[in-house]
Amino acid sequence: MAANAKQPVKKTDYQGKMHNLQKDMIGRYYDSLTAAAEGKGGKAVYMMISGNPVELIQAFDMIPVYPEVNALQLAVKKQALPLILAAEEMGYSTDNCAYVKADVGMYFAGRKTPFATIPEPDLILCNYVGCNVYLQWFEHLAEFSGRPIYNLDIPFNRTENGEPTEDDLRYVIKQLEEVIEVCERMTGKSLDYKKLQRIVELSGETGDLWSEIKKLTKCRPSPFDSYFDSVTMMAPLYCLRGTEDGLHFFREAYKEMKARADRHEGPLPEEKFRFVIEGPPPWPYLRQFRDMFSRWGAVAVASTYSTVGGIWEFGFRHDPARPIESIARHMLTYNLTNRNFLQRYQQIKDYVEQWNADALVIHSVKSCRLFSAGQGDMREYFTKELNVPTLLIESDLEDPRYFSEAQLRNRVDAFFESLEHRKMLVHK
Amino acid sequence: MATTQVDSTATLDSIFETCREIGQDMEFSAAKQWQQGAPGRKVFGCFQIYSPVELIHAAGALPIAVVGAGNQLEIAHADSRFQSFVCSIVKSTLELGLTSRLKFLEGMFFHSICDPARNLASVFVRNFPEMFIEYVHFPQNLASPLGKQYLENEYQRIVGNLETRLGRKITTDDLNASIALYNQIRGLLREIYEIRANRPHMIGAAETFLLTRAGTLMAPEEHLKMLQIVMDLLPKRPSRPKDRIRVVLEGSFCELPPVPLIETLEEAGCYILDDDFFRGWRWFTSDVPIQSNPLAALAESYCDRSYYSGVKHDSRETKSGHLIQMAKERKADAVIIQAAKFCEPALFDYALYRKALDDANIPHLLLEFEEKGWIFDRARSEVETFVESLMFD
Amino acid sequence: MIYAGGVDVGSTQTKAIILSGERKIIGRCLINTGAFVSAAAERAFRGAAENAGVKAEDVAYVVGTGYGRYKVNFGNAQITEISCHARGAKFLFPNTQTVIDMGGQDAKGIRVGPDGDVKDFVMNDKCAAGTGRFLSNAAETLSVSLDDIGPISLKGKKPVRLSTVCAVFVESDIMSYLADGKTMEDIMAGVHSAIAARTVALVRRVGIEPEVAFTGGVSRNIGMVKALEEKLGLPVNVCDDSHFIGAIGAALFALERAIAGVAEIKDVDMNAAPAKPQLVMPTVSSQAVN
Repeated sequence: MAANAKQPVKKTDYQGKMHNLQKDMIGRYYDSLTAAAEGKGGKAVYMMISGNPVELIQAFDMIPVYPEVNALQLAVKKQALPLILAAEEMGYSTDNCAYVKADVGMYFAGRKTPFATIPEPDLILCNYVGCNVYLQWFEHLAEFSGRPIYNLDIPFNRTENGEPTEDDLRYVIKQLEEVIEVCERMTGKSLDYKKLQRIVELSGETGDLWSEIKKLTKCRPSPFDSYFDSVTMMAPLYCLRGTEDGLHFFREAYKEMKARADRHEGPLPEEKFRFVIEGPPPWPYLRQFRDMFSRWGAVAVASTYSTVGGIWEFGFRHDPARPIESIARHMLTYNLTNRNFLQRYQQIKDYVEQWNADALVIHSVKSCRLFSAGQGDMREYFTKELNVPTLLIESDLEDPRYFSEAQLRNRVDAFFESLEHRKMLVHK
Repeated sequence: MATTQVDSTATLDSIFETCREIGQDMEFSAAKQWQQGAPGRKVFGCFQIYSPVELIHAAGALPIAVVGAGNQLEIAHADSRFQSFVCSIVKSTLELGLTSRLKFLEGMFFHSICDPARNLASVFVRNFPEMFIEYVHFPQNLASPLGKQYLENEYQRIVGNLETRLGRKITTDDLNASIALYNQIRGLLREIYEIRANRPHMIGAAETFLLTRAGTLMAPEEHLKMLQIVMDLLPKRPSRPKDRIRVVLEGSFCELPPVPLIETLEEAGCYILDDDFFRGWRWFTSDVPIQSNPLAALAESYCDRSYYSGVKHDSRETKSGHLIQMAKERKADAVIIQAAKFCEPALFDYALYRKALDDANIPHLLLEFEEKGWIFDRARSEVETFVESLMFD
Repeated sequence: MIYAGGVDVGSTQTKAIILSGERKIIGRCLINTGAFVSAAAERAFRGAAENAGVKAEDVAYVVGTGYGRYKVNFGNAQITEISCHARGAKFLFPNTQTVIDMGGQDAKGIRVGPDGDVKDFVMNDKCAAGTGRFLSNAAETLSVSLDDIGPISLKGKKPVRLSTVCAVFVESDIMSYLADGKTMEDIMAGVHSAIAARTVALVRRVGIEPEVAFTGGVSRNIGMVKALEEKLGLPVNVCDDSHFIGAIGAALFALERAIAGVAEIKDVDMNAAPAKPQLVMPTVSSQAVN
């Protein structure tokens, strides 16, 4: 794993506003978790990232806690492996999702992390949005903690037109009404509908800005990397959606990215290749992974991963006039994980065409089979039916044991060598 | 070629042998035999688990379990679509399709049981555009009455799709007739399981597996006859109890273990009193009521009287509680968790079970298997060691 | 006269080739890589130059390939063995459209374009072993030499079916079959058949078109050649130089660059630090990267 160790680590000299703002805000968010853990804050509601009803939770001044975000933070901070091993000692398999294992390991290690103390859940709100592991993960947390659980069941996108049925929509709305009752009981407050509308409006504006930001990467050069830099913006999107802070962040981020686009600035000195990337990043080795692409002047112009929490760039907006219905629609349709695999093919195809990409890179992670199971078929579709050069590489989003730098680099290099050859032919 | 004909000269052994042939036959001759019995007959494949077979049967079609290829097929195409860390049943089921073995099917049903199975449904849609592919989303909110209402609507949606595809109406009577037929079959299977649990020397787990498996591949009317013959013959079967430990087996609700593996466990010294093989076909703990709204009866049965499994998440009770209860009811000495390699739901459950079983002082053993296994020496020595540790304790 | 060199630094062996300006192989050298990879690369290169009868300094351009390609410090550029295998196979067998490469650690399939370029490639997944290592473990379990297993496998009449292609578990499978009274020939036939099936399934992902070149260390195993041909339903091309194919490809790239001049073809400097992205996530940049 030490192939890159000899290279000096250069700290970035970039001092834009966006990053510091993000750091401050996420820092404050985590402080609020620690406060809750110490009994000095609101009620903690565990939820999943993709397609969640955080607006409702915010309306009750409850605190959203995202085990996925905690797990990925542990991986980024290289704290995950001992926790994963602790979970495997408990009986979790090497083949189980490592997010879950890191989280369970952390739970039994006293919920203390370098970034916060994670509170025990007051409510486990399992928004089942496609990912079956979510159900299992929260089932386990409920058994371990003995705290109440509500399985918010979101019917999968399975109809021919890709839309939920009227019954699906009604089912989700009715469940959200039950969730409201649960929150009312738990907080002793009744729902302030006006407040909910305001929060949903904040989400709507945030979504608009995020969507505009993502369209900027259609520019040449792309002003930022839609994978490696998008993750900076995803934390506020998840943890702060529906707050004034969150909206403020996205206003600043849009300004900054727009200015970069106007100045024709890209993240790399030269943008030689534009690619679309599918799959979550390898959090424990994010920098090494990015280097593999930077070396070739390759920039991600679109990523499916950045749509896990929601898909806004194809026309969805939270609607304050119908707050609960629009939360339901967001959960049903406008997030990556509740869409079927072929809808994902279509999304990627749109990215390749509309964002003018040269290639598709599929980062297949063992942990997340929602993402990865069947990506060989996806590769088949893009290479053979659409003639889009496609690279499939494997590692993991959390478990550092699955990252083989030499193997990955070899494949990435070979892929760009062949792309370069194609480019040469075109120029001739 | 496997035939489903069982006549009066049949013995239990000959029936089990027939079942074994049917179960291994990846050309699905038994189903094709039914299909060729009259013009225009349609067969639908059902992936695991909890497939609402009554709806398909009520449409005049035959539902069969298309649940992998066991160790009968070399995977030559499907692993280009699904990675090495995906369980075998997903790949071998796709391999059946990619090698044209599913061409006789009108369509396939998939269910919201796990992420690979769900993505498999999409891969089927893309690779076999002529097939009718239905994806059933089962409610996971069972604590609220909303789950039941939703599922009734979901069944209604599927009935509508089937009616469109097959060009015929599915009436309340059709549905109730199918429910009654499957009630009978499941009732007999429950009885046979009961006999096995009480007098495990009378019939083994591999044998009930064969009986159930064959039933998923043939006309239910034929299966019913077969089960009735088994019920007649079983009490007359000469046998004497052996010195074995009493276990219940959990974790094999989806990918099918090779039959010789089950036999190995038994030969290694286990009476398997209960198991979760085909729980999604046997799936109800009591009969589905016959009533004026059969879809509501089916929906209610899923929510309130279906066997628990690794892919059903009922927040009204704990999953490990179910297993402990089953072990206690069956007076088992131990629990064997037999999980398919890469089966996330079963492997997740194991982590819960392990702690709960330890707390309840029930000895347990984890065995991982793959449907494509051929030799089971390793499993045998693990089980033998486990059995010895209990017997000589 | 222009000379160009290619050095393929593999995990066990290092191969070097010298080409003349007319694309003729005029020198070759094969040594064990050992622990000192840079030194081995240099030694192999000098050995090949000596074999060719040219001075090392007269070799205008050197391309390194293989896992140790970054250690070819004296070379001018590094190119992956995937590109080099495609180029080398096309050179040895001009009608090649598909390359199957089986080495000790991995197996790969390459679709080759009209000028020896890589149109598509796949490599084995992590858990899906089924490569040279599997064969050598099988050979070891049966106490036969690696050179003999191919011919032995051809004598098998009823190949056994293995439940795994995992190099770790093959041993227990084989022991079980031996205990079961199966012959060494049938077991070896089963081993070869399992690996061939696995590999063909892998290579199918890039689409198999004739002619097929079979390269890498395992291509010297006649049992595997036959097993592959059976699974493919096609003949495969193998030659004595096939383990040099990566080095040959590297030397062809080198020659192209030597003739065109460095200004024409700019390779990415693989040893340089990658460009530093302007926007970097604070969570990453603020921590001491270990």
